Amino acid sequence: MRFYLSTLAGHRRGVLILLGWSMLEGVPAFFSGKLVGTAVDKGFAAGNPLAGVLWLLAFAALAVVGALGQRQVFARLGDVVEPMRDALVTRIVKGVLNDPTHRRTPDASAVAMITRHVEVVRDATAGVLVQARALLVTTIAALIGLATTAAALIWLVVLPIVAALVLFGLMLPSLAKRQRDAVMADERTAEASGAVLTGLRDVAACDASDEAYEDIATQINQQASATITVAWANSLRATVIAIGGFAPIVLLVAFAPPLVASGQLTEGATLAAVVYLTNSVNPALHGLARTTSTVVMRLMVALKRLQEAAPQTRTEVGEEVPSNGEFALRDVTFGWSPDAEPVLRGLSLDLRPGDHLAVVGPSGIGKSTMASLLTGLMPPDNGRVLFGGAPVDLVAPTIRHHAIALIPQETYLFTGTVRENLTLLAPWVTDEDLTEAVKKVGATALLNRLGGLDAALGHAGEGLSAGEAQLLALARVYVTSASVVILDEATSHLDPAAEARVERAFAEREGILVVIAHRLSSALRANRVLVMDGGKPLLGTHENLLKTSPLYGQLMLAWDPTHHEETPLPKR
Amino acid sequence: MAKPGDALLFSVVRRDVRPWLLLLNAAVATTAGLLLPTALAGAVDMALGGTFVLVTVLWLLLLAATEIIGDAIGIVLAASITARATAWLRKRLSRHLLALGHPPRFAAGDSVSRLTGDCGNAGSVVVTVMSLIIAAVSSVGSVVALALLDWRLAAVFAVSVPLAMLLVRSHMQLTADDVLAYQEVSGEISARLVDAVAGRHTIAAAGIADRESGRVLQPLPRLAAAGGGMWRTQAKMMWRAGLLLPAVELAVLVAAGFGILQGRLSTGDVLAALGYTALGMGIVGQIPQLTALERTRASATRIAEVLDTPPAPRPTPQPSDGSIELRNVSINGVLHDVSLTIPEGAFAAVVGSSGAGKSTLAAVLGGLSAVDDGDIARDGQVGYAFERPALLGTTIGRSIGYGTDADEIQVRDAAVAAQVHDALIRLPQGYETPLSDAPLSGGEAQRIGLARAIVRDPQVLVLDDATASLDTVTEAKVDKALTTALPGRTRVVVTHRPATAARADVVVWLENGRVRGTGTHAELWDDEDYRAVFTGGE
Repeated sequence: MRFYLSTLAGHRRGVLILLGWSMLEGVPAFFSGKLVGTAVDKGFAAGNPLAGVLWLLAFAALAVVGALGQRQVFARLGDVVEPMRDALVTRIVKGVLNDPTHRRTPDASAVAMITRHVEVVRDATAGVLVQARALLVTTIAALIGLATTAAALIWLVVLPIVAALVLFGLMLPSLAKRQRDAVMADERTAEASGAVLTGLRDVAACDASDEAYEDIATQINQQASATITVAWANSLRATVIAIGGFAPIVLLVAFAPPLVASGQLTEGATLAAVVYLTNSVNPALHGLARTTSTVVMRLMVALKRLQEAAPQTRTEVGEEVPSNGEFALRDVTFGWSPDAEPVLRGLSLDLRPGDHLAVVGPSGIGKSTMASLLTGLMPPDNGRVLFGGAPVDLVAPTIRHHAIALIPQETYLFTGTVRENLTLLAPWVTDEDLTEAVKKVGATALLNRLGGLDAALGHAGEGLSAGEAQLLALARVYVTSASVVILDEATSHLDPAAEARVERAFAEREGILVVIAHRLSSALRANRVLVMDGGKPLLGTHENLLKTSPLYGQLMLAWDPTHHEETPLPKR
Repeated sequence: MAKPGDALLFSVVRRDVRPWLLLLNAAVATTAGLLLPTALAGAVDMALGGTFVLVTVLWLLLLAATEIIGDAIGIVLAASITARATAWLRKRLSRHLLALGHPPRFAAGDSVSRLTGDCGNAGSVVVTVMSLIIAAVSSVGSVVALALLDWRLAAVFAVSVPLAMLLVRSHMQLTADDVLAYQEVSGEISARLVDAVAGRHTIAAAGIADRESGRVLQPLPRLAAAGGGMWRTQAKMMWRAGLLLPAVELAVLVAAGFGILQGRLSTGDVLAALGYTALGMGIVGQIPQLTALERTRASATRIAEVLDTPPAPRPTPQPSDGSIELRNVSINGVLHDVSLTIPEGAFAAVVGSSGAGKSTLAAVLGGLSAVDDGDIARDGQVGYAFERPALLGTTIGRSIGYGTDADEIQVRDAAVAAQVHDALIRLPQGYETPLSDAPLSGGEAQRIGLARAIVRDPQVLVLDDATASLDTVTEAKVDKALTTALPGRTRVVVTHRPATAARADVVVWLENGRVRGTGTHAELWDDEDYRAVFTGGE
């Protein structure tokens, strides 16, 4: 909310221009009653139709001026609303992409939800600017107009309106709370039905359609009664505003007769006063009541949801400069939460340039944790991960990002040319280097099929297979100057031969290679193997582990039982 | 043209007396509203006459009070009718979706959108129709009232209505292009954000979040341009709309002015004429309601589509001697002519590469899916556990006892057997933690799913890859605990792990929906193709 208001304040000039044009829009409200009154008074009632028509034409001319003002207001609305939306979108995108935890990573449907909420904020802001502003301008203009024509009666008019507005203001908090409850009930209904309908298999397996129905029905009923509760509040609000709008009219006609009789109030002035109230003040009051109850609430809910979707961005810190390109892990322990069983326990490991480590273990055991620890994205709970003698998460970000490259399983491809995609991490490399890297990872045929470096890629690597997308991601890292390369199941969609080619290409590159293995064959190519299986990690060469670790033997057996008896030699 | 959903909409209207109350209320309030401008005219004339007449003021007050109270009642009544109708439709729909069962006939996302969106639209049918009726009656009533004042006024007003219609139509044409452009660019930014989110690991590891934000936001200026265009279009529209009412008012006022001149009308009648003009123009604002009515009918049709789908017949399995027997079972495109017998108390493993039909076979064995062809014989209750269980129910504890009346102790025992008790008591509120607040890993969810199967104390246990996320050590513990907790039960286990297959009494090897072989793991291991199932083909 604070962010929203400060953004609006940042466009103060736009808002002021908007208000300026509003003055013009208020002109008909200011003169309408007076002109109609005069037309009757001096024209038609006085037996002078020409004057009456002329006064009415003046009324029409002012209506044109007011409409012009309104036109300008809407045309200028874009100058306030669009930059505000731009700022909001920018903040959210940065927030989502900078979120260090990635715990609440939005999927496609969450992104769609973000888009919807941004649109709500945009429309609601425009709605508030239009309605609240119109109320202000119209009411004030009409009241001034009223004061100039029927000054004696002004208090009869102002007091009920002010009282209604004050009462309305007092009711707002409870109205807002009920609206919020209704929105929450709505979301819970969607959640409950979503859970059951995506889990129909499990409902059937548990023979639990009655309980499932009860769970949904409870939320549906709560949602219905929350909606009705809101309606009661809305009804009360509408009544207050309606009374506040109508009471002045009744008071006016009730108190006018003596004034008219004594000549203090002319026929035209009385007519003018009623026209001000019925044509300007009343519609504006109703508009305000409508806006605050629906639009403002939608605005608040959308802003709250957006704030949850995009947390405050965190800037990376760290100024340490590593003294060399070696990794040293000392008694490293890491778990996802203090209560959870650690994924890694007491791991010590040294990695020097030329080293080629394979990390193996059952899927879902947390092998990717190694990637997060080595890239410094997450510090260990206990122990130290040192890069060139400095804790890796405290190494200066520019040095760290250039020295250590990660290729995750999910490929990042964006819409743009193949060249743009390949030079993402090293914008300075030449086309020759790119072609060479593409050749090394075995993607030359792919590049030719795509149509060369200038070919365009669609969203999410549209038209590419998952394996082809991985080849591009591999070439992208191969071409960088990174001295540490971590392949986190980065070859999972390649066939075994292509995978072997890629791993050999990276092994021949200078520096450290860590392969978080999708297939156990990766272990055969490495000069050291780390086995993760929930307990204390096992570290050793392939031959060594075969002799000492029954688990590793089991894993290897599962992979290829023919190698059970005779140990295969690592091919490098 | 009648739509399939119309009958459903009629039943929504008929199931309650409230729509009739709303109609009655609307009739009273609308009548008061139609009489009000005349009463106001009378009151103003009274004021101009310089004498206070109590009856005139009371009449004005009475009409105003009737309209205000009527509106207030109308708001609550309308909300209540819509809320009840929506809830009634939602409950009927969810009942039926549950009856259709597994495999789901409608995609989950589609079902949810029918339940939340379409039921809400269809539930508003009464209010939509009613507001159209009220607007039409008010407009017609206003024209009649104008004619009663002076037929010339009605004639002048009648000319303005076609103008209003024309304006609304041109608005839709004007904005279409800008809206389209805006939606396209907005979609483009969303697509870019989805791309970047998919590549978040790459972005985070390379520290290029800011640069990539810029890439996502690249089309933003075009969005602002399209948005600005929309506002300018709307400005043109508002300019015309802003002129329309004054133009009609001017025409009516001039006509009324001559009415005063010729003594047909009083000064107060000018006010009445203005009031009826505004009331009569109200129908123009109701044009969008016609679209809303169409949307309501389309939504009702989508609901009726589900309600009219009959549940598939689910034949009860033939009784057996405790073993499970399939004879020539086929499911279109997934299983072909599968025959096999699993003896009572046996441990059977189902293996095969992905897409071979393992999960479908497991579903058929336990009676979860209906079959197209063939016979099944089975006895006793079946407990299911899955690789990715959908945990349901309000709390963690309920998610284990889901669909049963198991007490706390039974739930706890099942959780202990599934090796998940230690994790659950560490949750913020233990077993009472709401499911949505419980941060569960894949492995924990799997073990809760196992506990959910164990708590039912079934004769047959079907584990569809239900220990895939557990490490080998935990899996062995679970295995042992299952044997202790449920001794002598038939167990069917879908697995990718050779060690599990090796422990089984019999292995069913599936390939492309057919049984490629049965036997022990050791017997089948000699076959190179069988080994390839576990090694991914290298």
